[in-house]
Amino acid sequence: MTALRRPLALTLILLLILACFFAPFLWIVSNSFKPQLGIFSDVTPISWRTFLPLEPVLDNYRSLFERTNILRALLNTAIVSVGQVTLTLILCAMAAYALTRIKFRGSQVVFVVILLTFLLPVEAMLVPLFQVVSGLGLANSLLGVMIPWIASPFGLFLLKQAFEELPRDLEDAARIDGAGHVRTFFSIILPNVKVPLLTLGLVTFLFSWNSFLWPLVIAQNPDIQLIQVAIAQQGSPTQLPNWGETFAGATVATLPLILLFLVLQKYFTQGMAMSGIKG
Amino acid sequence: MAQVRLVDLGKTYDGASANTIKGLDLEVADGEFLVLVGPSGCGKSTTLRMIAGLEEPTAGEIWISDRRVDGLEPRERDIAMVFQNYALYPHMTVAQNMSFGLRLAKVPKAEIRQRVETAAETLGLRDYLNRHPKALSGGQRQRVAMGRAIVREPGVFLFDEPLSNLDAQLRGQMRTEIRRLHDRLSATTVYVTHDQVEAMTLADRVVVLKDGRIEQQGSPQELYDRPATRFVAGFLGSPQMNMLSGEVRQGALDLGGGSQLALSADRAAPLEGRKLDVGIRPEAFRLAAPEVAVIHGRAEMVELLGATSLVHFVHAGQACTALLEPSEAPRAGQPLHLGLSPDRISLFDADSGRAV
Ligand SMILES: Nc1ncnc2c1ncn2[C@@H]1O[C@H](COP(=O)(O)OP(=O)(O)O)[C@@H](O)[C@H]1O
Ligand SMILES: [Mg+2]
Repeated sequence: MTALRRPLALTLILLLILACFFAPFLWIVSNSFKPQLGIFSDVTPISWRTFLPLEPVLDNYRSLFERTNILRALLNTAIVSVGQVTLTLILCAMAAYALTRIKFRGSQVVFVVILLTFLLPVEAMLVPLFQVVSGLGLANSLLGVMIPWIASPFGLFLLKQAFEELPRDLEDAARIDGAGHVRTFFSIILPNVKVPLLTLGLVTFLFSWNSFLWPLVIAQNPDIQLIQVAIAQQGSPTQLPNWGETFAGATVATLPLILLFLVLQKYFTQGMAMSGIKG
Repeated sequence: MAQVRLVDLGKTYDGASANTIKGLDLEVADGEFLVLVGPSGCGKSTTLRMIAGLEEPTAGEIWISDRRVDGLEPRERDIAMVFQNYALYPHMTVAQNMSFGLRLAKVPKAEIRQRVETAAETLGLRDYLNRHPKALSGGQRQRVAMGRAIVREPGVFLFDEPLSNLDAQLRGQMRTEIRRLHDRLSATTVYVTHDQVEAMTLADRVVVLKDGRIEQQGSPQELYDRPATRFVAGFLGSPQMNMLSGEVRQGALDLGGGSQLALSADRAAPLEGRKLDVGIRPEAFRLAAPEVAVIHGRAEMVELLGATSLVHFVHAGQACTALLEPSEAPRAGQPLHLGLSPDRISLFDADSGRAV
């Protein structure tokens, strides 16, 4: 009996937690299928009407795609995210390799200083970052959106740990086999840290896809707006927000992430467990 | 083929207070199987890695076949190395592991395939060429590591404790295989180990290293029979050589506990009155009648090893062992009378530890 009861209690608790996480999301998705009036009338009292569109309508989606430039924003976001992932992986992997495996004076100091930048909140760096990126002539460009984040201290840390776990003899063997640093890096090291690379890629993608504050500041031109900014700004300042459309936008923006995580879930949890960092 | 010559080789690691290797002079002849042996931390790996080109010497020169190679990259040195933990590339198959170096050297594909197949044949790896290292046993991984060295057809093979991750039985088996392989390829080999059994069984010549210096070198038999220092005497041989304190008085060696061993006059004369350490191999003892025996004691414990018996006893406060025929060995607790021939003992100066 007790053996049965305990998993049951556990299951109930887990279900409750799941509901807490899932309810807001369900609410957004269901409200994206309701007309503006329905959204407000269904909020209280909380019942299954709150979470289910009884008479679903597609108006919100229709106007979202017709009235706003959401496809453009999605495309921009995809470019920025993919670009940011690619550049982050390349840069962090090479930096981490140099810091773990190439002996040079002060490498430890360099590493610590890079990690220290992790402690600065984004908000504190916003203004100087804006000045630097504008100064580089990259304001209102997609490159300008991604460039401050590709040198990721988190990525460096994650990959440095992964590299340190690889036996050094591997590189010695490669050197004896006649491989230089570059060849060793690409042919021996990288293939053996696939999981950490994937983890970093996913985390970066998530971070980039959901970023709001920096893109809001640096990319004011509507042509290069990113999805989160576009959703927040779709109404004009003088109008009341159109919540149905906002929810539809949020749903559209979240779908790619969900798909990505469903496909790569295994690596994500593996990598998290490996790095000792909670998601 | 190739010789190796180390000239006054030295190594001090960055930040280390002492020199790891101090003025090493060593020559390895073409086709010779040289074993570098010594306790952990004495600098064997450091020496080998300098020959390989994985560590820079801080003093001296390294020559391979009339070419000075220190300063050259490993691939330019005509060497191949086998590592203790195999260092196989986990993401490559056995065949890819073996051929990686050849592919980098742009050897034609057909020749690569042929060399890999020959090596796989030699090492009994034919059926495993498409497996990944994690699907292999320890012994098979060891073979792949050797295969990776063989296919490169190097002038010099370097081994760093290649058998220490294997269990005892496999170790014995691989030992024979390595020696057989060497005889077949007659390749110059430098083999590093801390295991004196490996050193004795494999080597044409053994070099005993201690604290970054050569303690003694010679054939296994020479080192075993005539150790130049107390350290070498204690390091080689299992069970270990017995070490008793002694002194020469009036032409006889006094071993304490009332034991006297007559020495020839010309051996005794220069040693008169000096404090000595007397090394006696366990097998140098033999049973003797009480009247002629040199050592009188009591068997404390007797281990039957099969072909021989190991008899433990205490002489003058020093634990000793004697290797005897099982049929004649006493039982524990029985009196023990052992004879000893003066030409089977090694004498060392008690202070310097050098043979006298
Ligand atoms: N990379 C290194 N940096 C500093 N000291 C080292 C390094 N490698 C080895 N040593 C030191 O050098 C000495 C000899 O090491 P090693 O050659 O590995 O010994 P062995 O192989 O005989 O056990 C040891 O005291 C070790 O601590
Ligand atoms: Mg070693």
